[in-house]
Amino acid sequence: MKKAVFLVRLWIWFSLRQLRSQYWRTLTVLLGIALGAAVFTSVRLAVNASVDSFANSMDTLAGKADWTVVTPGARVPEGLVAALQKHPAVETASPLLSTYVRPAGNGGEPFLLIGLDPISDRDMRQWSSTGTSERGSSWLTLMRTPYTLLPGEKLSERWHKAPGDSITLEHAHRTVDFQVTDILEPEGLALAEGGGIALTDIATFQEFTGLHGWVDRIDLRLKASAQNDAARSIAAMLPEGTVLEKPSEARESGKLMVRSYRLNLSVLSFVSLFVGMFLIFSLVSLHVTSRRHEMAVLRSLGASSRLLFFLFLLEGAFFGVVGWVAAIPLSSFLVRRLVEQVSATVSHLFVRVQVDQLPLDPLEAASSFALTLFVSLLAAIQPAIEARKVHPREVFLRHASRENGSPAPYCLALLGALLILTVWPLVRLPAIHGVPLSGYLATFLLFCGFSLLSPWCLHLLGSHLPPLLQHVGGQPAYLGGRYIRDSGARMALSVGALITAVGLFVALVIMIHSFRGTVELWVEQSISGDLFLRPKMSEINRYRDPLPPQTVQLLQDLQESVEIVPYRRIFLTYEKVPYQFEALDLSRLRHHASLLFLQGHPENIFRELEARDGILISEVFANQTGLGVGDHFTAQIEGTKLDLPVLAIFRDYRTQGGTVHYPLERFTKKSGDTSWSGARLFLKHPGEDLEAAALALKNEILTRSGDQAQALEVTTGRDLRRIILRIFDETFSITSVLLLIALLAATLGITTTLATFILERSRQLHTLLAVGASRTQVRTMIIWEAVLMVITGEGIGLCCGFFLSYLLIFVINRQSFGWTFIYSVDWTALWISLPLILGTALFAALPASQLVFQRPASQVLRE
Amino acid sequence: MNEVFSSPIIKARQLTRIYRLGQVEIAAVDHIDLDILPGQMVVLKGNSGSGKSTLLSLLGGLDQPTEGELHVAGRDLRKASPAEITHYRRSSVGIIFQSFNLLPTLTVLENTCLPALLAGKPSPQVKARALDLLDWLKLTARLQHPPSHLSGGEMQRTAIARALINDPAIILADEPTGNLDSRNGEIVMELLWELNNKLGRTVIIATHSTLADRYAGLSLFLKDGVIAEYS
Ligand SMILES: Nc1ncnc2c1ncn2[C@@H]1O[C@H](COP(=O)(O)OP(=O)(O)OP(=O)(O)O)[C@@H](O)[C@H]1O
Ligand SMILES: [Mg+2]
Repeated sequence: MKKAVFLVRLWIWFSLRQLRSQYWRTLTVLLGIALGAAVFTSVRLAVNASVDSFANSMDTLAGKADWTVVTPGARVPEGLVAALQKHPAVETASPLLSTYVRPAGNGGEPFLLIGLDPISDRDMRQWSSTGTSERGSSWLTLMRTPYTLLPGEKLSERWHKAPGDSITLEHAHRTVDFQVTDILEPEGLALAEGGGIALTDIATFQEFTGLHGWVDRIDLRLKASAQNDAARSIAAMLPEGTVLEKPSEARESGKLMVRSYRLNLSVLSFVSLFVGMFLIFSLVSLHVTSRRHEMAVLRSLGASSRLLFFLFLLEGAFFGVVGWVAAIPLSSFLVRRLVEQVSATVSHLFVRVQVDQLPLDPLEAASSFALTLFVSLLAAIQPAIEARKVHPREVFLRHASRENGSPAPYCLALLGALLILTVWPLVRLPAIHGVPLSGYLATFLLFCGFSLLSPWCLHLLGSHLPPLLQHVGGQPAYLGGRYIRDSGARMALSVGALITAVGLFVALVIMIHSFRGTVELWVEQSISGDLFLRPKMSEINRYRDPLPPQTVQLLQDLQESVEIVPYRRIFLTYEKVPYQFEALDLSRLRHHASLLFLQGHPENIFRELEARDGILISEVFANQTGLGVGDHFTAQIEGTKLDLPVLAIFRDYRTQGGTVHYPLERFTKKSGDTSWSGARLFLKHPGEDLEAAALALKNEILTRSGDQAQALEVTTGRDLRRIILRIFDETFSITSVLLLIALLAATLGITTTLATFILERSRQLHTLLAVGASRTQVRTMIIWEAVLMVITGEGIGLCCGFFLSYLLIFVINRQSFGWTFIYSVDWTALWISLPLILGTALFAALPASQLVFQRPASQVLRE
Repeated sequence: MNEVFSSPIIKARQLTRIYRLGQVEIAAVDHIDLDILPGQMVVLKGNSGSGKSTLLSLLGGLDQPTEGELHVAGRDLRKASPAEITHYRRSSVGIIFQSFNLLPTLTVLENTCLPALLAGKPSPQVKARALDLLDWLKLTARLQHPPSHLSGGEMQRTAIARALINDPAIILADEPTGNLDSRNGEIVMELLWELNNKLGRTVIIATHSTLADRYAGLSLFLKDGVIAEYS
């Protein structure tokens, strides 16, 4: 204890005062680490907020249920409720229906309407209303008066409706006036979906949605006395296709989908911490080199080598702790911006989430603190070990010496190559408890590995270039080249900050470009169609409401002029992996559209599909389930069992999980289900102006539908494709934020690295001045050094970036989203930005070269 | 001199320090035998490169001999562990350098206290002793100044205070007057002599200058790492 107090005191005297006297350098490094910590923390917090709000929603919806009865891909007959209630082990059986509806009129935001039985539900879920003191009256009103509802506080505020007011709601097929009975207390069920819910009686719900006799699920609470085998005996009384599930299953499968996305973002944001780490490393090692003599004095006065080690480790810890604290305001600013983007992305890609509050998660805060501190200590450890080696004898040497030479460049390069090689097996390891440790480690090793290559590259450059440089830039260029050659491992690791930033930048540029290119191609080929038709709110309600029969009839009447490609879409899970089963008229579709198959020629695959029974699965589904071509896929859809071979895998960037395609004819034959979830229309004679023809068709359909028109969503192909691309751009906008931060960090890195190297050599530079070099010559030399350093950093960073982009696209994206892209490099962006980084670096070098002349030569040389 | 005839405080036998520079070996200290009694004032002389600083660094536990035996203040420095040598530096010797070697980020008072704090002594006690010493050395007005604000003489006096803070039996001084003008050089020499004469410390001074000659109890002349002359 006493020792620790003394250590801190000595650290304040010895280190903190120096940090304070060179405050701008200290501040830059602090800013770097704070930026890294802030990005990391806020990205994690934002993703967690989404996941938590989803889990909470699912939990409050599940209430106290022990089991849930559902029919995958379909609904449960209501009659089952009474039968289940009679089972001796069942305490309560409570039916539930839910769907997204919205206030009529344009721009009404969808919310979750829940239909329940207010009596049986009292044991299941917690909810109450504000207005009347006795909850009794409001739930009685729900039951007695048709078309009454209890909205959550948030909805009533959004609508400006008070108890007694009425509101018009529209669902896929109908539009009806509801009366607001009362407002829900903000607790329990009312907090699901971020408060965007409303309750109504089950009978009203069924009438509104046309689902007489059906419910979405029946929640069961068992008696305390229920036997262990109660579940089995309950399951036995269920009809074919209906199953008993744990209520947590839906939550878990949703979380499973988001988990990999969280991993992806965590790894990317972790990289920004690395940049901070390199900055710390470069400053601490500068101190160790430039204060070597002072350390020898300390040793001669009786300081142990361990004390010196801890002194510099403490410096690392200081940057970690202060940087993290400085990151708090920065992250609270960032997180508010990120949370919207992240929750929008999660909603688009995986499960619908509504984040209404940011949980201040102490565990997450603690872990980000621990990680920042760890990374900072790690950065300080090598310089601290160097400090340990200072010998008291050196006190007699007048000037700092580099006693033990650093290891040979080629040794470091070998080590670097080794580290890069270990990345490969590492990234294949799964995350541990959702923490992508192996991902972090792999990224870390990748950047370290490439940084270790730099001394060797610098050495090569410095050995072969100086004669040429002398031609181009004269003596100063020659000297600059020589310095680069001899600068050794230390500079290499400082160039590491630059390598990391450039690497991240290049990787993200390539990834976004490949992604954009592939998705555009996919949208062009796979989302073809002149007009798309489906019931309103299909996406959000997971296509549970088919097209009304009148509409199907209408479409069939149009066959003269229009080719109709209908589909039936059903949301299912395969071994806990959620996916969309889509039966569609492939034989007709293939005349107009194509799928991007991972392997094989489309013609052959379609021919095979005609010849034999089988399915096509998307890349995402294949990656999530491990199914491959030739494997057998099984499913239970309503009453129909499917057991089919996988014929091919296609690229698919559709959101909300994987996709399985099956020919509609065969599905209809097997299941007897003739309903359509929607249809794509292709004009047979589009004429000159395709867009105008499509719009005309849209109008014709809407007019001829009459009352049904309001239940339909008709989109022209061009609009739909535009919407899809926009959603994807939004999805990757968070990556662009990271891109910007990488660039910012790169600039910081270059500036500090250069300033560090110049200050470290003030003596040497002044000696040059003293022996007759002009200021311009010294300045030119420094700029040549900067050029060589930045070019090396950029070169290696470029390689590192290619490597990282490969990992991102083919390993990390595949783990996160299940999809890969067609690799393509955005050369234009790289050709523009790399010289820009070089320019920035040179711009940063100018003030740095000025630093040399700040102090009079006599003073520097006397020290 | 009123010293008691006792066993030597410093005893060196065949003491050797060889520096290796690639293939070349330089014997900076070459098989030296030496006995120094407690309370002696020794002046080491010799040309540049004759091995004075090397010998002092061996005596001060800053460096390890390549060969030979070295006993100082009852300790076998050849066989001592690094921890024991660190302890020896803290408790038994005080070193004064030509270039002062004050730590630039510490004030005069802090520089003075440092060795005692490193030795783990309680802070209030250390401070009181440092104030006494600095008062004696006429530095009271300079307590909170960083070394960069001091004159050469003041710096060297601070270094002397620092060397004395742990009450070492032996004071080693390497060219203590080398960076000072003659007046300040005189003052420093007088102080060292006082330490030896009044407080009975063993003082060993390595120097080119003749300033120290008249205080010398024993003069050694080094040549190429060998003691060429006693007087
Ligand atoms: N670290 C070292 N590595 C190699 N040789 C050294 C080292 N330190 C000293 N020497 C050599 O050892 C010899 C003695 O050096 P030392 O510094 O002890 O001499 P000195 O008598 O103190 O000289 P001066 O009066 O110039 O201070 C010299 O030849 C010197 O070059
Ligand atoms: Mg010397």
